[in-house]
Amino acid sequence: MKHSGCTVNKGRHFSCEDCEGNVSGGFDASTSQIVLCQNNIRDQAHMSRVVTHELIHAFDHCRAHVHWFTDVRHLACSEIRAASLSGDCSLVNEIFRLHFGLKQHHQTCVRDRAVLSILAVRNISREEAQKAVDDVFESCFNDREPFGRIPHTKIYAQYAHRDFQNRHRYYSNI
Amino acid sequence: MSLSVTRGLDMAVAGSWQPPRPCEDYRAEWELCRSARHILHHYYVHGEQPDCRQWLRDLASCREWEESRSPEAQRSLCESEQTRVQAAQKHSLVWTLRQRPPADWNLPLPQERDK
Repeated sequence: MKHSGCTVNKGRHFSCEDCEGNVSGGFDASTSQIVLCQNNIRDQAHMSRVVTHELIHAFDHCRAHVHWFTDVRHLACSEIRAASLSGDCSLVNEIFRLHFGLKQHHQTCVRDRAVLSILAVRNISREEAQKAVDDVFESCFNDREPFGRIPHTKIYAQYAHRDFQNRHRYYSNI
Repeated sequence: MSLSVTRGLDMAVAGSWQPPRPCEDYRAEWELCRSARHILHHYYVHGEQPDCRQWLRDLASCREWEESRSPEAQRSLCESEQTRVQAAQKHSLVWTLRQRPPADWNLPLPQERDK
């Protein structure tokens, strides 16, 4: 975030609030603030995942002109990335949800959760949300910025950070 | 010959080129790629087994360059990494990238401004 020009200040860019329903958090692009739903976040692991999810939205907002409120395809794109890259759709989390699947199930989870996230914040039909996800899925699922890979576990995240620190050497020698 | 390869050769002549990654990074990526954990993750995401051979080829090229400053090893590494970069960028983006971060990223929150 800092490298992209959006240094995160906990006091300014995070807010802990009570939320309606079972929403865990959100990113408010109009105030550049991440909301963490203190009444719905269960434990540290859940908190880490929600923070990562919302930071991906914040990262997209920082690096791109995301039309959050006027183009549902843009919203869909960021939700696909957040579901894929935050751990939302890890095998373990899906098993906990009693969603049993292995072969390419990650993509199924990402599509489904992206639709749910869109419906939580937009008054549109499930069909419209699904179409938006389908339209942009190929592009957005394969956009792994800023990690360059899906950080399944800590070692993947460590390697992603290592690559980020090595970026000057990398791009000046290819 | 691509521009980046000629630039790389110029850098090699000037003595300033080095492999894009330290050789131990290629080894680490190869070992992660062929680990049982990664095979499972890859199957879960892509529905197939990963192909780890390029990491091993790159490791060999890296070591060859370190030992003998081989131009062929350099060319092989550059081509391999360019292929990786192109693969990551092959899909056009849904949105337009910014030239500058949002101007209001650090502005006071509305409730702060009203005080």
